[in-house]
Amino acid sequence: MLTTTKLPPSTHRYSEIIHRLEAGGSMLPDTPENLMQIIGIYKAYAVPMDFYWRDLLYIAERVFLDPLPFFKYFLPQEYLDLPNHYAGETADYRVWQKGEASAHPELLEFMDKGELKQKLPKIFHHLWHDRINMEFAEACMRAMLWHQGMGGQFYDYLESEEYIQNSDRAIKAYFKGNPLMLGLYKLFPEMFYEKVRELSYYANLGLFWEVMAPVFFEMSDLYDAGEFKTVPDAMNFLINGIFIAAGRPIYHHVYIGAECYEIIPKSKGFMWLYEAALPYVEAVFYRTAPFRGTKSYNAQAKQVPEEQKDFHYGILYADVFPVGTAGIPPTLLMQDMFHFLPPYLLEYYQKYCRGEDDILIQLGITFQRSMYNVTSAVIQALRVALLYPLDDPNQEHLLKNRQFFEAQLDRFLRPEARLSDIQSQEYR
Amino acid sequence: MLTPLLLIPLFGAIAIALYPKPQASRTIATIFSLVTLAWSLYLLSQFDLNIGEIQFTEFHRWIDPLGLNYSLGVDGLSLPLLALNGLLTIIALYTNRKDMERSRLHDSLILLINAGIAGALMSQNLLFFIIFYELELIPFYLLIAIWGGEKRGYASTKFILYTAVSGLLVLAAFLGITFLSHSPSFEFSDIAIDNLDLTSQLILLTALLIGFGIKIPLVPLHTWMPDTYVEASPSTTILLGGIFAKLGTYGLLRFGLQLFPATWHIISPSLAIIGTVSVIYGAMNAIAQRDIKRMVAYSSIGHMGYILVAAAAGTELSVLGAIAQMIAHGLILALLFFLVGIVEQTTGTRDLDVLNGLMNPIRGLPLTSGLLILAGMASAGIPGLVGFAAEFVVFQGSFATFPIPTLLCIFSSGLTAVYFVILINRTCFGKLDNVRAYYTRLTINDQWPALVLTAIVLFLGVQPNWLLRWMEPTTTTLVSELHAPAIVQIAEIDNSYR
Repeated sequence: MLTTTKLPPSTHRYSEIIHRLEAGGSMLPDTPENLMQIIGIYKAYAVPMDFYWRDLLYIAERVFLDPLPFFKYFLPQEYLDLPNHYAGETADYRVWQKGEASAHPELLEFMDKGELKQKLPKIFHHLWHDRINMEFAEACMRAMLWHQGMGGQFYDYLESEEYIQNSDRAIKAYFKGNPLMLGLYKLFPEMFYEKVRELSYYANLGLFWEVMAPVFFEMSDLYDAGEFKTVPDAMNFLINGIFIAAGRPIYHHVYIGAECYEIIPKSKGFMWLYEAALPYVEAVFYRTAPFRGTKSYNAQAKQVPEEQKDFHYGILYADVFPVGTAGIPPTLLMQDMFHFLPPYLLEYYQKYCRGEDDILIQLGITFQRSMYNVTSAVIQALRVALLYPLDDPNQEHLLKNRQFFEAQLDRFLRPEARLSDIQSQEYR
Repeated sequence: MLTPLLLIPLFGAIAIALYPKPQASRTIATIFSLVTLAWSLYLLSQFDLNIGEIQFTEFHRWIDPLGLNYSLGVDGLSLPLLALNGLLTIIALYTNRKDMERSRLHDSLILLINAGIAGALMSQNLLFFIIFYELELIPFYLLIAIWGGEKRGYASTKFILYTAVSGLLVLAAFLGITFLSHSPSFEFSDIAIDNLDLTSQLILLTALLIGFGIKIPLVPLHTWMPDTYVEASPSTTILLGGIFAKLGTYGLLRFGLQLFPATWHIISPSLAIIGTVSVIYGAMNAIAQRDIKRMVAYSSIGHMGYILVAAAAGTELSVLGAIAQMIAHGLILALLFFLVGIVEQTTGTRDLDVLNGLMNPIRGLPLTSGLLILAGMASAGIPGLVGFAAEFVVFQGSFATFPIPTLLCIFSSGLTAVYFVILINRTCFGKLDNVRAYYTRLTINDQWPALVLTAIVLFLGVQPNWLLRWMEPTTTTLVSELHAPAIVQIAEIDNSYR
C-alpha cells in the first residue's frame, strides 16, 4: 500500500478519506472489526443473492409476460441447478475456488425448511415470508429501470427499433393462441414493450449478481483462511473481480417452448461493467426511490427532488432504522441475510446494542459499511480504467486522480450521507 | 385491626437497618410492604359498606393532660387511600433502582413514609394526626436531598419550608378549634364547633385551607411543587404526587368539610374559583413545558383542582367524585411518573425537543411508549379508563352547584388532552434519532410496576363500581352533615350577628 502522496493536503471536507483513497485504501476505515463485519456480511449477502440472480433470470427468461405470475418466486429445479459462470467445474473463470456451480447448499437447506426449520408446503413458507424475499431484488431492478439514463448504451437500446422488433417476435410467440392478450397487445403495444423492458432489467440485474455471488463467497473463504488482513485487501479483491467480469456480455434471452428468442443478443456487446455494474451502483447505492421504507416523503413539501439524478435514497444514505427509512427497505434484505450470518458475526451482534432484538438494524449498518467498501472498489476501478496509477510520478496525473476522488466524495457532502457515520466504530 | 398498618412498615424499616446484607433491603421492604398492602386489602374486604361512620376503631389513652390519645379508625374516605398508599409503596420500591447507592437507607425511608401516611390517614385524634403529618416530611426531605437531581438542595429546602409552614398552620388551626370550642380533648369525635362564631370559624377554616392547600398544592401555594417533583427521584415523585399530596385533599375533606360544614358552605364559591384557577393554570403551564416531568407535575396541579371544585360543590355525587379522583389521580400520576422515570433513565433526557420516536419497535421503548399513551389517555379522561370514571362523577356532581367553574374544568380537561398529545407526539412518534438511539433494552422486569398500574387503571375504568363502592356510605354521611346542620347553623350564625 502507498503511504504518502506527493500532493499538498486536500482541503476537501473529507480530506482524510481522500488521502486514504490516494493511498490505495477504502472509504471504510481499515480496522480488524470493519474487516470482520464486511466479510461476514458479504457471505450472508451472497447466499440470498445466489437465489436472487437465479430467480431474476427465471422471471426474465421463463415467466416473461405471464399476466398472473403468482409463482414467479417458486424457483424450478432447472434454475437451482443453473451453473454459475464463475463457480464450479464448468466456470468460464472460476472466481469461487471451492464452490459448486449450482445453488449454495445453505440456500437449498433454507428453501427446504425455512426459518421454521420445518418442512411445510411451499405456499405456506411463501405466505409466511419464510423464504428469500425477492421483493428486495425487484426493488433494486425497478430502481435501475426507473433511473435508466446513468451512462452506457443499454437504456438507449431499449428504445431502438431493433429491440421493439425482437420484443414483438417474443410477445407474439408467447401469447400464441391467446386472442385476448394478442388483442390487448394490438391495442396497447407500448404497455407490452415497457413490460419487456422491465424484464430486460431483470436479466441485467440477474447477470450482474451472478458474478457478485461467487466473488463474495470467495472473499469469505479467503478471510476464513486468513488471507485477508486489511480492508484494502478486501477492496482490491473486489477491484480484481470487477475487471475479471468487466467484459462479460449482458443480454436478455427468452425461452418459449423449445425456442430461444434473443431480445437483447449477446452480439450487441453490452458489457457487464458499463451496462450492469455501474448503473446498479448508481441506482441502488446512490439513488433508489424515496418510498421504500415505512416513511414516505412528501413531494408537495419538496422532500422529493424533481430531477432523478438528484435522488439520494440509496444504501449509502439510508437510515436503516425502520421509522423514517430512506432508500432500500432494511427489513426484507436484512431478514434474508440474517438467515446466513457466519457465527462470528452473530456473536458480534449479540454483544452490542440490544443483541438479537435489534440485530436487523446492526446488520443493516454493517451492510452499509460493506457497500461503502464496494463503492470504494468501484471508484478505484474507475480510476484504474480512466485515470492514472496511484504511484504515478507525474504530479499532474496525481492531481487528476485527486480531482476525481474529490468529485466522487462531493456526492457524500449531503447531510443524509452516512460516510462520516461509518468512520466511527460506534455507529451500529 | 389498624395498628398493623402502622407497625408492619415500621418493623420493616427496623429490619432493613438491622439486617447485615444491604443488597437485601428491597426484598425485605417488599415483603413488609406486601404484607401491609394485603392487610389493607383485607380491611377493604371486611369493611361494612352499609356504615358511613368510622370503623375498626382503636383507642388507647396516651398523654391524657394533653388530650393526645392513640386513636385510630377508618372510613370510606381513608381506607381506599390506605390501599393506594400500600400499592404505591411497592411501586416506588421498584422504581429507578439502577446503580442506587445507600439503598438500605432509601428503602427504610420509603417504609417510614408508608407508616407516616398510614398514621395520618387513620388518626382520629387531631394531635396524633399532626404528628404523622409532620413526621413523614423528614423521610421525604432526605429522599429528595440525597437521591434527587442536580438542584436537590434547593428543591428539598423549598419543600421542607413550604410543607413545614403547612404543618404549622394546620397545627395552629387544630389548637384553635380545640381551645376555642372548649372541646375536652383532641379526639375528632369530641370536637364540636357549634359554639364558635362565624369569624372564628372562617379564620380557622382559612388556616386549614392554606395549610392543606400548600400540601395539595393549590395555586398560588404551589411553587414548591414543580421544583420538588422535577428534582426528586422518580420513586420519590410517585409517592409525593401519588399519595403525599392526597393528604392535603384528605385533610380538607376530613377537617374542613366535616368539621365546618356551615362555613364550608359559605366559602364554597371561593373554593370553586380557586379550584378552577388551579385547573386552568396547571393545564396552561403544562402546555408550555419542554421538560416532560415538569409537564406531568403541572398536570397534577390541574387535576388536584378538580378535587377542590368537587369538594366545594358539596353534593353527594361531587364529594364521591372528589374521593374517587384522589384515587384515580394517584394511580395515573404514579403511572406517568414511573414511565417518565423510565424514559429519563433510559434516554438520559426529559427534553421534549430532544426526545423522539420512542415508539420505534426495534431501537425505541415501544412498551413504555404504549403505556405512556394509555396513561395520557387516562389522565385526559378518555372513557374506559379510571380517569374518566372519576372526572365524570366530579363534573356531573358539581355542575348543578357551580355550572361555570364546572364547564371551565370540562374545558380544561380538553387542555389535558392537548398537552398529552404534545408529550406523546414529540416523545413517542416521529423519527428516532439514530445518533442517540442506543438505548438499553428494557425487560418486563423493568416495567412490571407500570403494567400493574395500567391493569388497575383499566379495571377500575371498566368497573368503576369497585372504586366507588367503598366511598359511597361515607360520602352520604359527610354530605348529610354538610347540608342538614349547615342550614340550621347558618340561620343561627345570621341571628347571632343581628
